[in-house]
Amino acid sequence: MTTEHDTHPSPAQYWKIAALLAVLTVFEVAMFYIDRELGLGGLNALILISLALLKFVIVVGWYMHLRFENAIPSRFFTAGAILAVGLYLVVLSAMGVVVIRG
Amino acid sequence: MTATAERPRTTIFKRPSSTTGWWSWLTTVDHKKIGIMYGYAAFFFFIIGGLEALMLRIQLASANAEFLTAGAYNAMFTMHATTMVFLFIMPASAAFMNYLIPLMIGARDVAFPRLNALSWWIFFFGGIFLYSTFIFGTSVPPIGPDGIAGNLAAGGGPGSFNWLADSPDGGWFGYQPNAGPFYSPGTAMDYWALGLQLIGLASLVSAVNFIVTVFNMRAKGMRLLRMPVFVWMGTVVAFLLLFSIPIIAVALFMVTFDRQFGTLFFAPVGGGDPILWQHLFWLFGHPEVYILILPAMGIVSEVLPVFSKKPLFGYSAVVFAGAAIAFLGFGVWAHHMFSSGITPVAQAAFGLATMTIAIPTGIKIFNWLGTMWGGRIRMTTPMLFAVGFIAMFTIGGLSGVTHAVVPSDWQQTDTYYIVAHLHYVLFGGSVFGLFAGLYYWYPKLTGKIMNERLGKINFWLMFIGFNTTFAPMHWLGLQGMVRRTWKYAPETGLEPWNVVVTIGAFIIATGVAVFMYNWYHSRRHGEDSGLDPWDARTIEWTIPNPTPEYNFAVSPVVSKLDHFWHLKYDQDDEGRAVRKEDADQIIAELQHVGLNPPEPIHLPTPSYFPLIMAAGLLLMFYGIIYHTTAWGKALIAIGAVVSLAAVIGWAIEPVEEPHDKPGEERSEKVQAGV
Amino acid sequence: MSDVAHDTPVSHHDEHESTGIDNRKLGMWVFLSSEFMFFGALIATYLLYSNRGGFEGTYPSEIYDIPFTSVSSFVLLMSSLTRVLAHNALSKGDQNGTRTWLFATAALGAVFLGGQVFEFTEFVTKYDMTLSSNPAASAFYLLTGFHGTHVAIGVIMLLSLWGISRRRGGLSEKQGMSLELVGLYWHFVDIIWIVIFTVVYLLSVPPA
Repeated sequence: MTTEHDTHPSPAQYWKIAALLAVLTVFEVAMFYIDRELGLGGLNALILISLALLKFVIVVGWYMHLRFENAIPSRFFTAGAILAVGLYLVVLSAMGVVVIRG
Repeated sequence: MTATAERPRTTIFKRPSSTTGWWSWLTTVDHKKIGIMYGYAAFFFFIIGGLEALMLRIQLASANAEFLTAGAYNAMFTMHATTMVFLFIMPASAAFMNYLIPLMIGARDVAFPRLNALSWWIFFFGGIFLYSTFIFGTSVPPIGPDGIAGNLAAGGGPGSFNWLADSPDGGWFGYQPNAGPFYSPGTAMDYWALGLQLIGLASLVSAVNFIVTVFNMRAKGMRLLRMPVFVWMGTVVAFLLLFSIPIIAVALFMVTFDRQFGTLFFAPVGGGDPILWQHLFWLFGHPEVYILILPAMGIVSEVLPVFSKKPLFGYSAVVFAGAAIAFLGFGVWAHHMFSSGITPVAQAAFGLATMTIAIPTGIKIFNWLGTMWGGRIRMTTPMLFAVGFIAMFTIGGLSGVTHAVVPSDWQQTDTYYIVAHLHYVLFGGSVFGLFAGLYYWYPKLTGKIMNERLGKINFWLMFIGFNTTFAPMHWLGLQGMVRRTWKYAPETGLEPWNVVVTIGAFIIATGVAVFMYNWYHSRRHGEDSGLDPWDARTIEWTIPNPTPEYNFAVSPVVSKLDHFWHLKYDQDDEGRAVRKEDADQIIAELQHVGLNPPEPIHLPTPSYFPLIMAAGLLLMFYGIIYHTTAWGKALIAIGAVVSLAAVIGWAIEPVEEPHDKPGEERSEKVQAGV
Repeated sequence: MSDVAHDTPVSHHDEHESTGIDNRKLGMWVFLSSEFMFFGALIATYLLYSNRGGFEGTYPSEIYDIPFTSVSSFVLLMSSLTRVLAHNALSKGDQNGTRTWLFATAALGAVFLGGQVFEFTEFVTKYDMTLSSNPAASAFYLLTGFHGTHVAIGVIMLLSLWGISRRRGGLSEKQGMSLELVGLYWHFVDIIWIVIFTVVYLLSVPPA
C-alpha cells in the first residue's frame, strides 16, 4: 500500500544531508560573529531564522521521512507547527514583545 | 509467526484474565468498562461539585450571611468550578467517547487499549489527588513581600466551615500572583496545580488514542463523512485537547516551579508578568470551553434525528461547523482578558473574532431546528433534554455575543451576568446534552429503558430549576452583583433574587436525585429494550443490548450514512421513509448473529500495568509537593521506580496474548473467573 | 479509501478503513504535533522575559558560551544522522550495524546531555545565575531543562533497544517499529533544539 520503503534515501544521501546540515550550522555560527562586528540587526535575525527553518525542514522531510509519508501525519504535524508559531506570535505581540509594523 | 515458542510466559506475573468481578475492572482494557468507570466517577464528582454549589447558594441566600467563612467560600467556588469542568463534564464526555466511538465506527476496541486504561487511571488518581487536598492540604496566612494580605483563605473571618478553607482557593483559573507562592502559601494550590497536571496528562493520552482510533479503526465502508456526528465531534474534541493541553501543562509547570522551586515566572516583584499566565491559561481555557460543549452537541445531533424520524438536516454543514468552531476557538482567548489591559487593537481583533464564532454556532442551531421541522416528533425524555439543550444553549450563546462587545464586556466582567452566561452554555448546554445521552444510550449499557415518567419529572425539575437558578443571575449581574465575593450588603437590594436563585439550585438538586433513583430503579424494573428501542439510525444499535464484550460478532460493512436506518427503511415516490416489510426480521437476525459470533473473537488481554503506572505517577506527584522533606524525596523515588517497572512490564507483554488453542484459552478464563 | 465489494474475502488488515499507517506510528506523529504547543509555550516565555531589563541577577544571554553550545548542538544534529543509519542498517537486515549506530546515537545524545550539565553547572557556580535570579533565567532553565529531559528519555529508549538487540542477537520486526518510533521522537527533539539554538542562543540579546 505504501511506497515508503522504495523511496527512502540511501546511506550516501543521509551522509550528504548531514554534511549540508553541518555547513548550515557553520553558517549560523558565522552569522552570529559577523553580526557582532557589523550589527546587522533585523537582517541577521532574518538570515538566522531562515537557516534554522531550512535545517528544520531538512530533518523533518528527509530524516523523519515526512516527505515520503502519507498525507495524514504530515497534515497533523504541519498543523501543530503552524498553530504553535501563530498563536505564540500573537501572544508575544499582544504582550508587546513582537511589534508588527504596517 | 512462531514467536510464542521463543518468548517466555510474558511477565513475572501471570496475566490477569478474569472478565467479571471487581478485579476485572482494575485490569480491564475494554473500552466499554473504561467508559462506564469514567461515567460513574464523573457522576460522583458531579454530586460533590453540586454539594459545593449548594453551600455557595446557602451562603448567598441572605445578605451578610455567615454560613461560610470567607476562606471556605473561596475554596468552595474554586473547587465547584474545578470539579465541574475537569472532574465532571470532561470525564463524562470521555465516558461517552470511550463507550460509543468504537461502537459507532464498527470497531472492537480503541487503537491502544492499554493506553486507554492508563488514561482512565491517571484521570481517576488525578481526581483523588486533587480532592485529597481536603485531608492533606493547607492554607496559611499570606506572606506577601510587602506584608500585603492576599485572599482571606486562612484568616477565615466570621462564619463556619472554616476547615474547608484548607483546599484550593485561587479560582479555577488560578490567576497569578494571587495563586502564587506569596499570596496563596500552603500546599492547597499545589494540589490544584499538580492535580490538573495529572488530569491533563490523561486527556492528552486519550486524545492521541481517539485520533488514531478514528483514523485507523473504522469498519469497512465507514468513510469519514459517513461517521455519526458524535464521532466527528469526539474527533474534533480530541484535536482540541491535543493542541491545548500542552499549553496548560507548561503554565501549570511554571506555577509549580514558582511555588516549589523559586522561579519568578509570575511574581511581579521579581520581574514576572501575571498577564502571561492569563494568556497561557486562556489559550488553553477557551478551547476547553469547546471541549466541554462539542460532545454534547454531538449527542444532540444523534438524538434529534432519531426522535424526529428524519435525517440530520445538513449533516456535512454540522460537521464542518463543529470543526470551524474548534478552529476559531483557538483564536479568541483574549476575550477573557478585555479588562486586563490589553491593547485597543487586540481588543478590537479579539472582539471581532469572538463574534465570528456565532456563525458556525448559528449554523448548527438552524440545522437542529431544520431536523425537527416537519418531522414526526416523539417527545421522549432524551428528546426533551435535546430540545432543552437547543433552547438553553441559544440563550447562553446570545449572552455570549454581548461579551464580545468590548465596552459592554467591561461592565459585565466579574459580575453574575458572566456566571449566568457560562451556566447557560455549560449546564443548559453541556449537562442537558449529557443527560439526553444518558437516557438515550442507557439501553446499550443495561438492556433496559429508563422509566419515562420519572424521566419527564427529572427533565422538568431540572429545566425549571435551571432557569430559576440562572435566569435571575442575568439581572443580578447587571445590577452590579460581583462574583467570587462571599457577602453583599442588605442595602444593595440584591437579596430577593438571590433567594430565588437558591431555591432554583435546590430544585435542580431534586431533579438530579430523581435521575439517580431512575437510573437505579430502571436497572431492575425497567422495560426490556430489545435491540432497537428507539428506531435508531446508527450502527451501535445493530448489536444486542447490553453490548456484548466483543461488540460486533461480525465486523460490519457500512454502505451509507445512517446505515442502520437504511437497513430498515425505504423511500416511497414522494421521498417519505417507509419501513421495510422485513425490518423486524432483520432486527431479529441482527440480535441472533450479535449474540452468536460465528468464529472465536480475540480481544486485547487485560493488564495490570496501566494501573501500576498511574499509581507510580500518583506517588511521584505527592512527593513533589513535599519534596523538601526526606519522605517526600522517598515518595518521588518510589513512584519513579514503580512507574518504570510498569513501563518495562508494559513493553514486554503483548497487547493480546497469543491464542494457539482457543479452547484452552477459554477454559483458563473460566477458571480464573471462579 | 476503497469501498470494497461485500463478497471479497478479507484479510485481517483490510477489515478497517484506515490511513495505512501503523497505529503506533500514527500515534507518535499525533503526539509530536502536540509537542509543538508545549515547546512553543516555553520558547515564547523565554522570548518574553529574555530582554526585559531592570531586574537583578545575571541574564542568560550575557553569559552564553556560543562556541561550546555550537559544538554540542552539532553533536545532537549528528545523532540524527546515526539514527537514520541505524534504521537503514536494520532495513537491510544488518543487525550488527543497527546495534553500532544505535549505540552511537545514544552516545551522542549522552554527550549533548553532559554538555548541558556542564553548562548549567558553569552558569550556577561561575556566574551565580539560578532559577530565582530573574524570570529570564527561570525561563531559560525550564526550557532547556525540559528539552534535556526529552533527550534523556530518548537516550534511555535508545539504550533499551540497544540492550534488547544485544541480548536477543537482533531486533524483530515489531522492535523495528519501536526503533522507527524512537527515531521520530529523537528527530523531533533534534528539530526543537535547532529552533532553540537559533532563537534562544544566537538571537537573544541582553536587556539594554
